Amino acid sequence: MPTVYVLDVPENRPVVEVASRDDRVAVRAVGPYTRLSSSAPIVIDRRETGCRHAVWYSCLAGLAAGRVVQWDKNALRVEAS
Amino acid sequence: MPTAPLPHLARGVDHAAFPTLDPAGTIRFYRDVLGFPVVHSICAAGWGPEKHPDFVHFFFDIGNDDRIAFFHYFGFEPPMVSARGDAFARFNDEMPSFYIASRHLAIHVESAEHLNEYQHRLDLSDWPTELRVQHETIESIYTHDPNGYLLEITRALRPVTPQEDHDAALSVQALLDIADAGDLTLDALLRRKAELIVAHAEDRDPLPTPERVR
Repeated sequence: MPTVYVLDVPENRPVVEVASRDDRVAVRAVGPYTRLSSSAPIVIDRRETGCRHAVWYSCLAGLAAGRVVQWDKNALRVEAS
Repeated sequence: MPTAPLPHLARGVDHAAFPTLDPAGTIRFYRDVLGFPVVHSICAAGWGPEKHPDFVHFFFDIGNDDRIAFFHYFGFEPPMVSARGDAFARFNDEMPSFYIASRHLAIHVESAEHLNEYQHRLDLSDWPTELRVQHETIESIYTHDPNGYLLEITRALRPVTPQEDHDAALSVQALLDIADAGDLTLDALLRRKAELIVAHAEDRDPLPTPERVR
């Protein structure tokens, strides 16, 4: 089950919000981080987040049971490893 | 991992020093364009076994009593392999620009208004602002000074939060761990960080960070 951790700071909240629109994505606080895990690949559309590039390309704090297969100006996609 | 924080005794930048082949341009840029006060200088005759040239060493205040300083060595022309790089280091075409631009001095200002003021001063000069960008939590302007040194002037978009200090401590520990394991990739870093995030999730003050001085 791909799992990512996102630090809970204001700039990252749209990333969590967009990711959690997928009902398969479970959202849980782990310390000062938000853990997103899913039975399916985690896919986040960058334009929907409205994140500027510097925020977008540094939004991942941790990665477990998954691998990043796309992280570009369009989307972040994490699949089970 | 250290078990107790080491006393943090350092107190910021006294001075950062660079050589200059263009002292006139350097003085015009730092004193006249940016308005940084001249605060110290040393004019010295060369001596010693290495045929040290005569030189002048001059300092500009960059705020908080911190200083940027330059050496000009009279009559000295360093061997240069190309025009790429700056007065200290030159590179051939194989060196990518991201690496050349990685070493820089960033000077802090307190507000967007103050950043705008420096952008305005640069844009009226021979060294206009090359880039203005919002990073993760700071906004910066950039130019190259007359010596080719990359200069950044930056402001905080918001204060740094405690969870970011925590995250930085985890990042650095993860980097140390993957370096020791001989697996230096972003993927490995994020995996190791995930382990540390879980391990330290319940800690209120999880990793030892040096005493913070404000």
